[in-house]
Amino acid sequence: MFYIAIFFQYVAQYMKTRMQYRADLFVEIFSDLLFQAVNLIFIIVVFGHTNLLGGWTRDEIIFIYGFFLVPYALFSSFFNIWDFNERYIVKGELDRILTRPIHSLFQIVLERMELESLFGAVTGIAVMIYAGNSLGLEISWTDPFLFFLFVIGGMLVYGGIFVMIACISFWADARTSIMPMMYNIGNYGRYPVDIYNSVIRFVLTWVLPFAFVGVYPASYFLGKEEWFLYSFLTPVIGIVFFGISILTWNSGVKRYRGAGN
Amino acid sequence: MNDAITVRNLKKEFKAYSSRSGLKGAFRDLLTRNYKIVPAVNNISFNVKQGEMVGYIGENGAGKSTTIKMLTGILTPTSGEVIVNGMNPHKDREKFVSTIGVVFGQRSQLWWDIAVQESFRLLKKVYKVTDEQYDSHMAHVIKTLDIEPLLDKPVRKLSLGQRMRCELAAALIHNPPLLFLDEPTIGLDVLVKLKIREFLKEINEKYNTTILLTTHDLSDIEALCERVVMLDDGKIIYDGTLKSLKEKWGEGKEIEFQFLEEVDLSDLNKITASSEVKWEKDDKEAIFTAFTEDNDELISLLIAKVVADLKVKDINIKETSTEEIIRNIYDRGIS
Repeated sequence: MFYIAIFFQYVAQYMKTRMQYRADLFVEIFSDLLFQAVNLIFIIVVFGHTNLLGGWTRDEIIFIYGFFLVPYALFSSFFNIWDFNERYIVKGELDRILTRPIHSLFQIVLERMELESLFGAVTGIAVMIYAGNSLGLEISWTDPFLFFLFVIGGMLVYGGIFVMIACISFWADARTSIMPMMYNIGNYGRYPVDIYNSVIRFVLTWVLPFAFVGVYPASYFLGKEEWFLYSFLTPVIGIVFFGISILTWNSGVKRYRGAGN
Repeated sequence: MNDAITVRNLKKEFKAYSSRSGLKGAFRDLLTRNYKIVPAVNNISFNVKQGEMVGYIGENGAGKSTTIKMLTGILTPTSGEVIVNGMNPHKDREKFVSTIGVVFGQRSQLWWDIAVQESFRLLKKVYKVTDEQYDSHMAHVIKTLDIEPLLDKPVRKLSLGQRMRCELAAALIHNPPLLFLDEPTIGLDVLVKLKIREFLKEINEKYNTTILLTTHDLSDIEALCERVVMLDDGKIIYDGTLKSLKEKWGEGKEIEFQFLEEVDLSDLNKITASSEVKWEKDDKEAIFTAFTEDNDELISLLIAKVVADLKVKDINIKETSTEEIIRNIYDRGIS
């Protein structure tokens, strides 16, 4: 309960700060939207040449893309830990975090949130509605709940993977370039995994389970029964990966060496 | 009285790797690295009682910050025992840190972009401080530190001195019984320093707050602390009152003379031949300094002898400063 209250305190604070820099806020939202438009155009261009990709139609792929945007938006709003090494380890900001009576990872989530990324979720839902309409999908009463469950699961998958990567900084001094690479790999989850060869598919399912952010959960809403099992695994994988990442984090904090003054 | 801090055989080792020289060395480093275990804090023990103000001093790299970080739960000790406020700082960290206040002079506790009072408000929630507690306690803190006019400014617009006073106030929001200050007056002007010192004294008297202070500015310690713990190379080399440190290591007094006439060192030595005095001459300004033990009678006798024989322009009696004493200790090592 305390954590929820604190969460809203930080959100309120965040909004206050953001309102003061209106121009900044608009620029950011605008560039976010632009970025997503570019991605969407890419998909449309690819399908300008063909209407099928590994047995998936254009609208299905657009639907998957739309779904992917929602957990991804949540992830980018709350897990801005890509610069964890520089900001918190090298500059020693973690010292300050560790002298406050809230879990350290939660504090970083709170400090670094960027709520304007949530607009990505709106775009995502709009894209899904558009694609769903062309596909003639019907919405049943369970869908919103499952959607919510899958979205949270997808966000936890993303969050878990990136928290684990951030944890590398606790063990290794050197900076790693894994973070940007991981953002690239994450994008593969937006496309149907059966178009990749089986090794990549295995990796995207069990090692870096990005497929659980896009294609697997979206398959449920597309009525692809052969993927249903995977769809329902989404929240499980999310909780498992995020759980592991928190355990890793906790043992990493014990090894934290601090930055010299 | 309870001990606020108990430290037993505390040790912290860092693994540092030393790189070999040259390109060949770099290749070898790639395969096998030479690790060296470097003890930053080596088997130290001490106690601090509730309500004490202790100065923790040492050169750069002596292990001050490492100790503070272990006491505040940021770092895990390699071995040894730390009990602070009845808890193990690292194990019960999240519960423990609400019983301490921390100010790191070089790092801000406040949020950069938001107004100071917003930071305070957020910290108040983080530390679960009730409105009544906050009002009664913080009104006083804000008044004493004179930060009322700063409250609605964002932290990034404050000067260092202004920021530091706000930092101090922020560390005290939950009125902790124990306060850690790491270089709190670094880079501050004299007036702000004085204000901060006065404030710390007041807090200590009013709430019996224990204060552990590290600083390079020994005047802070002279103004505040009865007790100093001195660290060198990860070991405690002195733990006791500042007064006895001075008595033990202060090497008597210096008396500076300037004369109206040309004087030779040999003349002076002749005049004071009967007592134990060492003379030194400063070439440039023709200042002669007599080193003698700290004994009032001896000093007046010395002056009387000199004045009787030579025409004096200026006399100055100086006590060895704490700074000098400490420099001496570090130069020569404790024996």
